[in-house]
Amino acid sequence: MKRRTFIRLLSQSLVAAALVPRSAQATHPKEKRPLQFVFAQVRYRGGDWNPHPLAVTPLMEELMLRTSVEAPTVRHEITLTDRDLFTHPFLYLTGKYEFEPFTSEEIDNLRRFLSYGGFLLIDDALGQQGYGFDKAVRREMQKVFPGNDFKRLPSSHAALRSYYLLRRIGGVRIVHPYLEGITLGSSTPVIYCQNGAGAAWERDQLGKWTNPCTPGGEEQRRDAFHLGINLIVYAMTENYKEDLIHVPFIRRRLTR
Amino acid sequence: MKDLFLIGSVPWWLIALAGLGSGALLIQQFVGLRQRLTLSQSSVLVCLRAVVYGLLIFFLFGPALVETRVLKLRRPLTVLVDSSQSMDFPATPKADSSGQPQTSRIELVREKLAGGKEPLLEKLSRDYDLRLFRFGTSLEPIAPAALPQLKAQDEGTRLLEILRSAAQQGGAQSAILLFSDGITNGIEKTLDGAAALPVPVFTVGVGESEDFIDVRLADVRAPEFAFRGREFKLDLIVQAHGLNGKTLPLYFNRGRNLITSRTLNVDADRFEQKITLAFTPRELGTHTFSVTIPQQAGEQITQNNHKEFKIDVQRDKIRVLTLSGSPSWNYRFLRTALKQDPLVELVSFVFLRTPTDSVDVPDNQLSLIPFPIDDIFLEELKNFDLVFFDDFSHRAYFNPVYLEKVRDFVRDGGGVAMLGGSRSFDSGGHAETALKEILPVELDGKGSYQTQGAVRPSLTAAGKVHPITRLHPDRATNEETWKRMPPLTTFNQVRSVKGETLLTATGDGTTPGSPLLTIGRFGKGRTLALMSDDIWRWNFIAVGNQETPQNHLKLVRQAVRWLAQEPSFEQVQLGPVPLSRPGEKVALKLRVFKDDFTPARQAAVQLRVFGSDGEPTLVPVTPDAEEGEYTGEYTPLKQGSYRVEAEASLAGKTLGRSKTTFTVAFPYGEIDDGRPNTELLKQIAAASQGEYVSIKDWNEKTLDKIAAKWETHAPSQIVEQRQTQLWSTLWPFFLILALLSVEWWMRRKWGLV
Repeated sequence: MKRRTFIRLLSQSLVAAALVPRSAQATHPKEKRPLQFVFAQVRYRGGDWNPHPLAVTPLMEELMLRTSVEAPTVRHEITLTDRDLFTHPFLYLTGKYEFEPFTSEEIDNLRRFLSYGGFLLIDDALGQQGYGFDKAVRREMQKVFPGNDFKRLPSSHAALRSYYLLRRIGGVRIVHPYLEGITLGSSTPVIYCQNGAGAAWERDQLGKWTNPCTPGGEEQRRDAFHLGINLIVYAMTENYKEDLIHVPFIRRRLTR
Repeated sequence: MKDLFLIGSVPWWLIALAGLGSGALLIQQFVGLRQRLTLSQSSVLVCLRAVVYGLLIFFLFGPALVETRVLKLRRPLTVLVDSSQSMDFPATPKADSSGQPQTSRIELVREKLAGGKEPLLEKLSRDYDLRLFRFGTSLEPIAPAALPQLKAQDEGTRLLEILRSAAQQGGAQSAILLFSDGITNGIEKTLDGAAALPVPVFTVGVGESEDFIDVRLADVRAPEFAFRGREFKLDLIVQAHGLNGKTLPLYFNRGRNLITSRTLNVDADRFEQKITLAFTPRELGTHTFSVTIPQQAGEQITQNNHKEFKIDVQRDKIRVLTLSGSPSWNYRFLRTALKQDPLVELVSFVFLRTPTDSVDVPDNQLSLIPFPIDDIFLEELKNFDLVFFDDFSHRAYFNPVYLEKVRDFVRDGGGVAMLGGSRSFDSGGHAETALKEILPVELDGKGSYQTQGAVRPSLTAAGKVHPITRLHPDRATNEETWKRMPPLTTFNQVRSVKGETLLTATGDGTTPGSPLLTIGRFGKGRTLALMSDDIWRWNFIAVGNQETPQNHLKLVRQAVRWLAQEPSFEQVQLGPVPLSRPGEKVALKLRVFKDDFTPARQAAVQLRVFGSDGEPTLVPVTPDAEEGEYTGEYTPLKQGSYRVEAEASLAGKTLGRSKTTFTVAFPYGEIDDGRPNTELLKQIAAASQGEYVSIKDWNEKTLDKIAAKWETHAPSQIVEQRQTQLWSTLWPFFLILALLSVEWWMRRKWGLV
């Protein structure tokens, strides 16, 4: 390595270390401010459970910047058999490749988790329908809720109106212009995005976006952040925006 | 008197043959005697024999003497006098021009039966076996001397039932003389399909239905209770008689306030119109409503122009308002609990964004709605039953003056719950707001909010029996349930409490006895303070522990009901009072509980009953054998609606209040319709083969007419006949013997023997 190259790399490393928020360095932070939300990412066997390790911090920063929700800026890694699974009602499941089938304990836990108020955001980092992660996710969710397939969420779904009035589904690519979900009763505890939202959220340690969003560019990325915020708010307020008091107001805004 | 009748059964030809034989024999005798005696002697002897033969032939005809005797009967006559309240109405619909009080129907009957030189009752008792009764809802015998004092005070008229009873008592030969206006309100109202009356009923109609002027509110159908905010309907029928061409105003009032009015155009002499009125009550409680048509010119009966009724306005749902400082799991699971409760109607506001949060899109791309501060605090608050402050502080959003409205809301009976969080209690600056006054914990601005550690709930003595924290009916199981509750991680430390603490916090960051759940009262309302925003863990983590989320749901459900003062969560509970009659003793029962919901044995109970005049009557209360139960006895004297208010205190501290209403009424509508029912009286007379007569048409011949009509049903006398057959007596034998003896003596004298 040339001396100039070494000095350049060293200086870049020092600058990067200074820019990274301290909280991002911790795996399980103990923040003094009250935290309403913890972004818990599911760790599973096989495949790639963590394709975008730096995706969560930008989303959490955006969440706190835009909403009244306070959250740690780093994710909490969790397995479906962890004892503290139910202390984190929001779960994020992502990946690129096909993964090993869930054990029956994991299936039971996930079913109980989702049936009693938990929320699962599934994000396909590969974006190939019927292959890899998509194939495995659909297979496993069939085990969790047999006979209850993913269905396309209507544009009037509360998740698309929980904070932003979403008209587009962002992500690093546009596989589907819609979300899918599994609905139980009046709530949708499982929402599936195949557009690679995590890839769109991810920023490197120098603050640059890791992945370009195509074809919509930065506007598409902004849509992905809006989607992330909406789904978190939806998880914490459920179908609050379907309350009668909100309906006429939202209708007026949508018709403008 | 005796009459001779020929009743023989010997054929006539035989008698004729005997006559011819006798004649031939006499001729033969005469010819024989003439040869030995003179003509006169022969004639005498033959005549004597002819008489004997004549008598024998006469007896062949069967002569008999029939004696007739007439026996007069004293038939039983039952005189029934209607003494129901409608008989107190004027006998004639036309007002007296002299200004004198009009003669009532009963006065007219009294005058007819007991007035004059020779009272009708005397005449009747002379000719008949007189039985005098008065009737209304029952049949009561009265002495004729008591008739002048008879008053129209029976609360109903079971006319047809009474008639059947009187007919049965009188017997088959009896008759009934009925003095009535024909108004009946018993179970049987018409003769249609009923068995015929067994004795003739002579009906004397009292009161005139012609020219009768009356407006009547009939068949008012009002619900006993209505739901707040929901329209209820009231159906009634307006009947008007003798007011053709008039316009009638109808007023629908709540208390003294006019709700609406209608105008009715009467287009027939016998007018009837169904009216439907509607009202949407906005306030809870028992409200008095009335429908009124003012008295019309010439109208004698005004009692039926006004109908008053009470409707208990209840909430169909408990309207809950939640104000949440931000999205949170506590809100998420509180919302689930409230949404699952069928009794709750939820309106929630979650502050998704603070003023310091920036957004990257125009407002029209946000679903956020501006918080309607004025609408909520100045207008709509009264329509809610309770408000949850869920980790919410006014600081960034509005002036704390608005929270004074919340204080007033609680003072007037609303409920407020404050849940913990970094924006709650002292951490939310509530020590400087009106909420400080109403919350059951002391706020001094120094309380802290702690976010680390494990805080466990512990039941206090009050918490062990209080309905909010009673998650299981069995006390030991309940305590065990609370011990198994997942620990909380956040806690609001408060200095002290003003109310009753049900749960204390033990664990990290707490001091011994730190209140976790405290309840209190302010004015007529109730308040609750839960010093944590982490109770969602009692739901979701319990689920993760393979337990039920029901404990959290039940806690929320019970807290909501207690705050909204659902009757089963009242410390003073008045029992329902059944419909009663004037003069009947009414037992007013109530249960009293202490703050910890154990029965209050030595509570001071004040029980007051308000009649329609609004004047309270203090009712003495005595404790029952059952602990915490009390009874007061009250005797209402008038018909109407009564309100009962109970207040109980223990050691000078008010435990609570309760109120209820009950109705006192006769089960008949005696004065609803004052029109004489002449038609029914005519029908009764016709169906029983009696006679109808109006009392004004009664004259000297009426009794004869009645007697004649009755005669066809049951004769007034018996004719007795005795028959004596002449041949069965000794006199004919002695007569014939005497004639034959004389003949024999003459024959001997004249030398024939």
